[in-house]
Amino acid sequence: MIRFEDVVFVHQNGVRALDGVSLDIPDGETVAIVGENGAGKTTLVKHVTGLLKPREGRVLVDGVDTTSVSTARLSRKVGVAFQNPDHQLFSESVREEVAFALRNFQFPEDMIEKRVKLELGQFGLAEYERSSPLVLSGGEKKRLTLACILAWDPGIVILDEPTVGQDAIQKEKLSETIRMLRSQGKTVIVVSHDIEFLWPLQPRTIVMKSGKVVGDGPAKECMLDSEVLRSARVAQPQLVSFYRHLSERPADPFVDPLDAKRWLSGGRAG
Amino acid sequence: MMWLSGGFVFRRGESAYHQLDPRVKLLISILMFATTLLAKAVYEMGLVIAFMLAVATVATVLRRVARTMLLTATFSAFIFIVNILVTKNLETSSLYATRFVAIVVSTSLFFITTSPDELEQVMKTFRLPRDVVFAFVTAVRFIPVMMLDTVQIMDAQKSRGLELDKGNVFRRVRNMIPILIPLVVNSVIRSGELAEAMESRAYGAVPKPTSLVEYRASTRDRLVVLASIAFFVVVAYSFYFVPPLQLP
Repeated sequence: MIRFEDVVFVHQNGVRALDGVSLDIPDGETVAIVGENGAGKTTLVKHVTGLLKPREGRVLVDGVDTTSVSTARLSRKVGVAFQNPDHQLFSESVREEVAFALRNFQFPEDMIEKRVKLELGQFGLAEYERSSPLVLSGGEKKRLTLACILAWDPGIVILDEPTVGQDAIQKEKLSETIRMLRSQGKTVIVVSHDIEFLWPLQPRTIVMKSGKVVGDGPAKECMLDSEVLRSARVAQPQLVSFYRHLSERPADPFVDPLDAKRWLSGGRAG
Repeated sequence: MMWLSGGFVFRRGESAYHQLDPRVKLLISILMFATTLLAKAVYEMGLVIAFMLAVATVATVLRRVARTMLLTATFSAFIFIVNILVTKNLETSSLYATRFVAIVVSTSLFFITTSPDELEQVMKTFRLPRDVVFAFVTAVRFIPVMMLDTVQIMDAQKSRGLELDKGNVFRRVRNMIPILIPLVVNSVIRSGELAEAMESRAYGAVPKPTSLVEYRASTRDRLVVLASIAFFVVVAYSFYFVPPLQLP
C-alpha cells in the first residue's frame, strides 16, 4: 500500500512540484499517472522510492515512512524503470547489468544466474547476453532496464514513460508484461503521455496539473472527462473521442475512416 | 562536485554588475586574482576577501558566493593541514588556505555574472581560434546539464540498491563506477549529437562568420575600468611596499 498524506514538495528554484497531494494506492492496483510536462508526475513517483523527500506531509510505503529509510533499502520493494536508459547502463555485459541490482541485494549466485536467464529470455535479450549494453538500440536498452528491475521481483513496479522509442510490437509486449505483473498481484504505476497505450490496460487514472491531482478514477470515467483532460493538456483516447462524436451525431451515416476528419468537422462525406 | 554548479554557473541577474561589459567584469576578476597573489599577510587576504564580498553584494550574488566559500573551506582546510605539516608555520599555512578561497571567489564572481554568450564574445576579442572558443563556451554551457545528468544517474543507481555512502574509502570509490561510466558515455553521445546538429546548421561553412552582438564600452564601463585599475594600483602598492603589520 502506498499512501500520500497531503504531500508538498518544492524544488530548489521555488517551483511547487507537488501541492497537497493525498492519495492511496492499494496493493495490486495498476495506476496510470498522466498530465502535461512539469505537472509533477515524475516528482510524485520519486517520492515513492524515497529519492525525493516531502517538505510537508508524508509518504508511506507498506506503512514505512520514506523519510526514515534509504532509497537503496526502499528499492527492494519498489523498482523504477527511468525514462532514459542511458542513465543507468554501465556494465561490461547485458548479463552483468541485470545482475547488478541482485548483487546489491545480496542474492545468492545460483539465484542470480536463474533470474538473469529468465528476464533476458522474457524480454528477448538472451542473444545479447554477452554484448555491451551500450551497443543496444534505444528500444532494446529500454527493455533491458525493465529486465533489470523485474529481476529482483519488487512488489511495486514504476515505469516512467516506458513507451518512448518502442515500436508497435514492443508496445504490445510491454502491455502484456504489465498485464502479467497485474496478474502476479504487483502494484504497477505507469507514468506516460501515451494515452493510446494506457487505454486498453484500463488502469486507475490519476490526472495531474501544476502539482495537484485534478482527476482520479477508473480509466473509463477519467478518460471520458474531456474537460479535466483538456485542462491537464492530455488528449482523449481516439476511440473515446470517436464514439463521443458519433453519439453527438447519431443521424450521420458511417463513412470511410480515412474521411473521418472531414466527417467530425461537420462536413458531409463526398 | 555539486557545489561547482552553484559557484560557477551563470544565472540571469538585473544588478548593475551584471550589466557591465563582460570584458570589464573579466578585468575586475583578473585584478582581484592578482591582488590575492600580492597579499603577504592573512589580514591583507582578509581585506581582499571582504572587498570581493562587497562586489558580490553589489552583484546580488552574495548568498551563492558565501555558499561557494563554505564548500571551498573543505579544500582550504586540506591545504592548511598539508602546509602546517610541511612548514610548521601558522601564518604561511593560513595565508595559503585563505588564498585558495579568495582565488575561487574571484573566478566564481566572473562566471556567475557572465553568460556563456558574453563569455564567447570576451574570448573572441582576444582573437582566440573560433573552435577553441566554441569548445570552451560549450563546456561551460554544459556544466548544469552534466550536473542534472549526475543527479539522474545517481537516482537510477540508488533505485537499484546502490548505497553510495556505505563502506570504506575503497568501496565508496568503487561505488562511483556506476555513476561515472553512464556520465561519460552520455557526454560522448551528447557531444556527437551536438557536432551533427552544428554541422547541419552550417557551422564552419564560412571562416569568419558575422556576430549578432558587438560590445562597445559605455561611459560607465570606462569609469569602472579606471576606478578598478586605480584601486588595484593603490592596493598593490600598499601590499608590496608597505611592510605588513606585526601582530602582537
